[in-house]
Parts: sequence; C-alpha cells; structure tokens
Amino acid sequence: MNCKSSKRKNTPLHAVTWVAFTFLLIQGCTQVWWWSNESIPGTLRFDAQLEWNAESTVLGDVTIDHLGHSIRLDNVQMYISEMELRSESGDWAPIGDVALIDFSVLNPRILAPVPAGVYDAVRFGMGLPPEINSDMDPASYANDHPLSVAGSAGMFWTWSSGYVFVKYEGKFAGEAGDPLLEPLSYHCGTDSSYRTVTLEFAEPVYIQSRQLTVYELVFDAAKALVGETDSIDVVTDPVTHNGSGTTLGGRLMNLMDDAWTLRQ
Amino acid sequence: MIASRPQFRPIPQLTGFLWALALICLTSCDRCQDPGCVGADCNPEATPYLLEIPPFFPPMDIPADNLLTVEGVHLGHLLFWEKSLSEDGSISCGSCHLPEHGFSDPSPYSTGITGAQGIRNAMAIINIGWASSYFWDGRAATLEEQILEPVAHPDEMALPWPQAVARLQANSEAPGYPQLFLEAFGTTTITAELTSKAIAQFLRTLISADSKFDQWRRGETSLSDDEFAGYEIFLREGGDPETTPGGQFGGDCFHCHGEAGLQFSDYLFRNNGLDGSFGADAGRAGVTGMPLDSGRFKTPTLRNITLTAPYMHDGRFITLEEVLDHYNSGGVPSTTIDPFMKYTTGGLALNPVQKTQLLAFLETLTDTSFIAASQFQDPH
Repeated sequence: MNCKSSKRKNTPLHAVTWVAFTFLLIQGCTQVWWWSNESIPGTLRFDAQLEWNAESTVLGDVTIDHLGHSIRLDNVQMYISEMELRSESGDWAPIGDVALIDFSVLNPRILAPVPAGVYDAVRFGMGLPPEINSDMDPASYANDHPLSVAGSAGMFWTWSSGYVFVKYEGKFAGEAGDPLLEPLSYHCGTDSSYRTVTLEFAEPVYIQSRQLTVYELVFDAAKALVGETDSIDVVTDPVTHNGSGTTLGGRLMNLMDDAWTLRQ
Repeated sequence: MIASRPQFRPIPQLTGFLWALALICLTSCDRCQDPGCVGADCNPEATPYLLEIPPFFPPMDIPADNLLTVEGVHLGHLLFWEKSLSEDGSISCGSCHLPEHGFSDPSPYSTGITGAQGIRNAMAIINIGWASSYFWDGRAATLEEQILEPVAHPDEMALPWPQAVARLQANSEAPGYPQLFLEAFGTTTITAELTSKAIAQFLRTLISADSKFDQWRRGETSLSDDEFAGYEIFLREGGDPETTPGGQFGGDCFHCHGEAGLQFSDYLFRNNGLDGSFGADAGRAGVTGMPLDSGRFKTPTLRNITLTAPYMHDGRFITLEEVLDHYNSGGVPSTTIDPFMKYTTGGLALNPVQKTQLLAFLETLTDTSFIAASQFQDPH
C-alpha cells in the first residue's frame, strides 16, 4: 500500500513530463494554430496592372501621349512601402513593409497577411520612407529582399542618395512618324520625393480568415505625364535622375500620386 | 457533497512514450533538419568549407544541394584545370579563363580545340557566386548549368559529356577521380552533374576583395587625389545640368556598375550603344525572343577591369581608353539603346583630365592577390 501511494505521489515528474511534452509539441512543429479562428489572418493580394489612358498595356507597346508624341515604355518599376488598411473604426493597420513592383515581370503582385475584418481604404508610400532610404547598405539585406543588392538591381543610387523610388523609362519620337529613338529616362527618388497614396475601396472589403482576397492595383502610366494641374513634355524634359532632388522629379511624383486606382 | 477533483495519474508506461513522441516530433520537423547535407549527392562526412564573406559584400546564395565542402572545392579546382575534359586533351576551363587576366581570355574570341572561335569574349570569373545569371546573354540560370556547356560545345572543348565522364571514371592515377568524387559527394559514380557541381563549388571561392579600393573602404589605405577624383566622377550623374535635370558632369558609371555590395555590376542586361542593328548577335533577345532585348548584354563587373581586356561582349575595344571614348561619344542610337546612354547626341563630354582620373579610379579595382592566389592556379 505504501509502495503504491509513493508511486501515485510522484506527481512532479509526471507534471514536468506533460509540460515538457506540450512545449516540445508546440516548438517542434512549423505551423500550429492554437488561437481562435478569428485571429487567423486572411490574405490580401494586389495584382499590379499597367494601363495607358485606362487601357491595358504592356511594356513595349507604342502609345500616344497627351501632346501627340509616340511613346514606348520599356521599363516601369517602383517601390511601394508602409502599406496600410483602414478599418471600420478608422484606424490604419500596417500590412506590408516594402515591395518592388516591376512591370517587366509576369504578373507583378503584392501579397499581405491581413487580420480578418472589414476595411474601406488602403494607403501606401510611393518610394521609401527616410529611415530606410538612405544610409542603409543593401548588402545588409538577405538576397531575396527587395532592398538587397540583388533585389534592388538598377534601383539603388548610392549610400548617400539612397534608392530610386520610381523608374519610368522608354523611347519617344520627336516628330510624328519618326522612329522611336529618343531616350526617355525618369528616375525619381530622395526623401523629399516620398509620396503617400490613399485609395478607397468601392465597397468595404471583408477579409476572412484563411481566405484569399484579390484586388487589382492599377497604375495608369499616361497620368505620370499629365494631370489636372501639371503636364510634362517629353521632348523638352526627357530626363531626370534626381539623386539630388530636382523639380522635374518632384513634379513626376506628384503626377504619379494620382495615377493609381483600385479595381476588384 | 463536493466532488473531489480527479487526481492526475498518467499511466507510467505512457511517460516514456510521450518523451519518445516529443523527440520524434522535434527531429522530424523541417526546421530542425541539418541543412548541411541535402539530396543524394552529398557526403555527410565531407568537411564544410567555411566561405568568408568580405566586408560590405552581400550574402552569397549557395544552392542547398551543392553546399561547399573542402573536398568538393578541391575536386572542382582539379577539374577546372583538367585538360582531359577537352576532346584532344589540349585545353581546360582555365585555358580561356586565365588568372593573370582576371580569369578571362585576352583574345576577343576564345579558340576551341578545332580552331573554331565563338562570337563573344570569355567572361571574367570574379565573384561569380554573386551573379544572378550566366553568359553574356544570361541563358544559364545557375552556375552549375553554365558549366555544362563549354565542355560539350563543338567550338570549345568539344567533348560530349558521356565521354568526359568515362574519362574521369577511368582515371586511376592516385588518388583518382572516383576516389575524389567519393570524398566530395559520397559516390564513386561520376556524372556530368556532379562534375559541374564540383567546379561550381570551386568557382564560388574565386572571391576578389582585396583591391586598393577594398582596402580604402576598410580604412586600411588612402586613395590618391586622382583616384578619389575619379571615384567621384564614377558616382556622379552624367550630363550638363542645364540640359539634363540632375546632370552633374559625371561619368554616370554607377548606374550599371553600382558599388552596392561592391560587385560593380547590377548583372542586368543593357544595350550600351555599340551597334545600331543586331543581326550579328541579338544578345539577350536570343534567349527571351523579345524585341526589347535586342542588343542587350549582361553588365560585367569592373573588378580587375585593367586585367580583363579586351572589352565588351565581343572584345571590340582593346584598351580602357577606347571604352571611355565610346561612352564619351554617346554610342550608336538604336531602338533599344539603354536610357542611361541618353547622351546620344553628345556623350558624357568628359575632358582629358577627368578621363585620366576615372582611369586612375578603375585601376584601384585591381586585386593582384586574387589573381596570384596559389589556391586558384593550375594544380596539375
């Protein structure tokens, strides 16, 4: 009897065993969902679309700008950062760090885990905020990060001037009927060029746990050259590489601020 | 009556079972796996090769199925210089990638065993572990894939891989390749893929990081006035600010040969205005089939640039002075010329002093310890 009692009272060892077992079970698996279903995020995907005057286009297409010039875009890339969603309460919830949209790749897209809930707007930075733009070494990032040496290939100036926020390149013809030989080269950057884009969903979006929700994030490249209060003539202003900040670069960023729309 | 709380009484035999289950759970999950040896082609007893990443360099992505080992790198070194990998036993990889020329060929076109020549200059092998594609047109996505081509190419080493493998397999001179493959990969059965893997391991160790510029970046030396002035020209935007917003009368080199990660190449594909048409060599378009890629070639590194003449994909420029003259001229307009060559009407307009200073800077990228390193020389 005493012997049996002593065995039953050996609870510390057994308790430790159960606690350890539970801990190891949790630690040993790569994905364990112990929390409630409501706290499991859904996924919001933005498929980046390139348009020209509201018509779908791809790099290499020849288009006509607001002044009648033939233009062919060969390269459009841009950094998107600090992406946030606005909830019903009006609070902004961060959903993304930094992404590089490159329209030369097939199906450029941004994927973000989003807490389940209802949202009515998205906002993001066009470019990079000052704290990560300059005085950061691309070599400090893993190679699959958009700000790494490999990830930012062609999108980094120097340590002092930072990253190219937007690259908008192509060719244009000076006169109607001329071959497309004139280089168009707009590189916008520097901290003063950082812009925030805010877009409202047509209807509130309900992000469900474990569910994928897809929206199109449309960039109308024609609007980079003309807006309500400004326009740019590619013949007289074909180049800006505003590593040191130029007026033309700032004007382009202002115009591109209004070049975005959301579409489901 | 208050019910007493049931006492927790695990079955004694269950305790051991739970510990075993927990152990299995821990060791079976993928994040707990030993990443040091992946796939069938690996010898778990091989010695990991500790690759030292130089200061300011990015991490090197090494394929998980071809991690570097001391035995693998040693084998790759032997194979890189192995002339029996050519049909007549006269040339090896190293014959066209000479250390004293930055592991490139001083001839515009390399000559194969039949006397035939290719249409492009042999690319320099410098810090190739950081490249994102291989060949001037980027047709090989991996280093392992790239290495397979020259051995079998009829205008190069001209030895079909089955024959190459048979030669290595029959090699009995001590210690013999079968034994070396066993030590590196855990098998005496030699294949083209394993041969390529071994050479790739060796090539990833060809790291140049001790030029005068590197020493300056590490604070170990100083640049002369001309060298520093050249560095500033290298970093400045080209063009007259009166006509080119942002222009700084610079060399505009950094756009394509950026210093981020100290590789001096963005490894992208560009048409730098050499030709107006591309019938002779379509460049990247030959791989992608896209007209926009016509005349585009991969940006080469500027490391050891003073050693890797001749220049451009076809070796058309013999000296660096000719190269600067080309960029000063603005190049030949075409429908795919890179926007960075935007000065098609006037070029960079660097004056003779600026050109001399820029050349002085480029000289600081020469790494003599790299080309002289004994571990890279012909061991046969």
